[in-house]
Amino acid sequence: MKNAKTFNVIAAAAFMSTVSFAPSAVLADGHAMGPDINLPLAALGNPPIAADNPTSPAKVELGKMLFFDPRVGGDASTACSTCHEPKQGWAFADGFSRGYPGTVHWRNSQTIVNAAYYGKLFWVGSASSLEKQAKSAAKGGVAGNGEDDIMEARMAFIPEYRKRFKAVFGTEWPLIKDVWRAIASFEQTLIQKDSPADKYLAGDKKALNEQQLRGMKLFQGKGNCIECHNGALTTDEKYYNLGVPAPERWDEDGLAQITFRFEQYAKGNTQEQYRKIKDDGGLYYRTKEKSDLGKFRTAPLRYLKYTAPYMHNGVFWDLREVVEFYNAGGGTNIFTDGSMAKSKTPLLKPLGLTDAEIDDLVSFLEAYSGPEIEMSPPKLPPYAPLPMVSK
Amino acid sequence: MRFQNPTRTASSIAMMAVLTGSVFLAASVTPTQAADFGPVQPEKFDVKKADIGKRLFYDRRLSGDAAISCASCHDPEKGFANDLPLSKAYPGSDGFRNTPTLINTVKRDAWFHDGRIGTNLNDVTRESITEDWMMNMDMRIMQERVKQDPIYVNMFKEAGWGEPSNGKIRNAIPEFLKTLTSRGAPFDTGKMSASAKKGFELFKGKAGCASCHSGPIFSDSQPHNTGVPENPDIWSDPMRHHTFVAYAMFMGVENYMNIRRDVGAHVRTHKADGSDIGKFMTPSLRELKYTAPYMHNGTVKTLADVVAFYNNGGGMDPNKDKSLKKLGLSKTEQANLVAFLEALTGDPLTGPAHVWAGTISTNYEPIANWRNVPN
Repeated sequence: MKNAKTFNVIAAAAFMSTVSFAPSAVLADGHAMGPDINLPLAALGNPPIAADNPTSPAKVELGKMLFFDPRVGGDASTACSTCHEPKQGWAFADGFSRGYPGTVHWRNSQTIVNAAYYGKLFWVGSASSLEKQAKSAAKGGVAGNGEDDIMEARMAFIPEYRKRFKAVFGTEWPLIKDVWRAIASFEQTLIQKDSPADKYLAGDKKALNEQQLRGMKLFQGKGNCIECHNGALTTDEKYYNLGVPAPERWDEDGLAQITFRFEQYAKGNTQEQYRKIKDDGGLYYRTKEKSDLGKFRTAPLRYLKYTAPYMHNGVFWDLREVVEFYNAGGGTNIFTDGSMAKSKTPLLKPLGLTDAEIDDLVSFLEAYSGPEIEMSPPKLPPYAPLPMVSK
Repeated sequence: MRFQNPTRTASSIAMMAVLTGSVFLAASVTPTQAADFGPVQPEKFDVKKADIGKRLFYDRRLSGDAAISCASCHDPEKGFANDLPLSKAYPGSDGFRNTPTLINTVKRDAWFHDGRIGTNLNDVTRESITEDWMMNMDMRIMQERVKQDPIYVNMFKEAGWGEPSNGKIRNAIPEFLKTLTSRGAPFDTGKMSASAKKGFELFKGKAGCASCHSGPIFSDSQPHNTGVPENPDIWSDPMRHHTFVAYAMFMGVENYMNIRRDVGAHVRTHKADGSDIGKFMTPSLRELKYTAPYMHNGTVKTLADVVAFYNNGGGMDPNKDKSLKKLGLSKTEQANLVAFLEALTGDPLTGPAHVWAGTISTNYEPIANWRNVPN
């Protein structure tokens, strides 16, 4: 969709002759202006590294340990890896992420793989950097439920960490803000840019088979996936209401109902909204614009093979289900049917794809996944008493 | 009578006990300290609200990971304290102080061993539930957990409170704490032994205990440095020491990585010269038979040891209160004092009035017809 960056606009305009300027120019998320240009698909380069957090092998190594260390969390039982488990696509293989003990989360856990590329993180873009994402997740009541002071204090009692933080950050004692910085540096190494689709886009015309190539054509043509899943990132990083149905778990699971209400409370809803709402309001919680109810960030497509289930609430369990959803022109929820909003994007229309075409599209989507990124958890260094220093 | 008053004498203490309300004394004596020694007056409480508080008190869902309840540390069988020298803490941490009893806590003016809360039990409840090393609870999640339990929903309604909310939860627990008042101690029923009676005289007189342990609960609710030795288990155990560091950080204590002593009431007053370091709030002397070991860090095992500690003029500390001096009590006198202290222990509060009968399920039933009923 729309992108304000001039460079991208020019690049896209030069490449894409088939993409319409479309009714979407005045619709989309309501914030953008100018002609609607879809960036061409492209091979992925290296992730950006923030100038205020340069990477180094030592920082990455420390970040890896911290990523897997449950002491960075409330009761020392949940690490980043608890909900971003390497064997589960660096995500969590259930509709909702598992959540802090005694809770369940209310959204699907997103993979860490390629998180380094995106301008904003979380399903509604509420974190503007990897560092801020790590901090929010470690502290959130249904995620890590940790507090800065106790997590920082724990780090000070791990001699191996004292040594490593001093070497990497130059501080006498580990600081919690540097925990997030080290984790960010580690996450920048969890990247996938060698998928068959990437190889094809980089010029290896043998990297995709016939079916995948048919799928790619549908992706950019009849399926119009590229309307939002575009550019090297396969996402325009914008927000849409697709009418993804509300998960049934909210009807059946008391724990999930608790978290649902907590989120309405915590995100600063009005009393009326708190009482009435029965689905995830999405981008609305950030903007408090009713037109943003039910909108979520366009999900990137790499590594999908390992990250089922799909969508912000994990209601679809395989890619065919996802494609069938779009083929039907998306779905309905309380933000599409007028009971709370009518914010569904008009970009979605029944596509008329045949079964064979759906298969082709799924095979192309799978071509955006390369080898699984496997990693064993590192051995975590133990606590030790501090020397008896007299004051 | 302030503990800090250097002019006080044993006779003036004795006078204080009888001259309650005297205009002559009123200028230098606070009402609490001038009050008679006992008994503890029961508090009026709302039965239905206190009942809600009682269930909440025993409900593990009031902690972040639903692993511990208030009663995990404040055990009714141990006088609403526990027998560990240093308390347990939230999972992932361990405690650095002895669990204080909650019996008569409603009669205090300031709470926790360091007195860091001096407002009311609503604030104490909030602090205990939300502090990361105590119960680490996001109270918004707590509210929604309570709202998910039809038993609570009904109890709140019956109590005239409408639906559960985190504000009302913070009122319900203090309402329950009002029920935890001492009753039936030999001191109050007039059934003290001869030895205990002699001990009481020493307490008011030669031993000088009453200068701090005054009023119906035998506490002036003030901080004092008596030179209680550090508990080395805090500093040798990273699980405890890191908890202390987190506490000290949060309380704005300087140089928290390098100190190896519990600063106590310094967190109230933050004196630049550190002269308030090592002061702790005078504990109540009621229900002591249930609450061993003693002192803010559980370093003293028996009441005989406590009396011996004071007989020796307290411990060693540069900031120790100057009025603590060797007492020269004989073995018999010390035994009499112990007998008196024991006579301040009343009936155990372990019956159904104070303990929630039955188990509290930590499972949550779904709300039926969820999409069609208001949240």
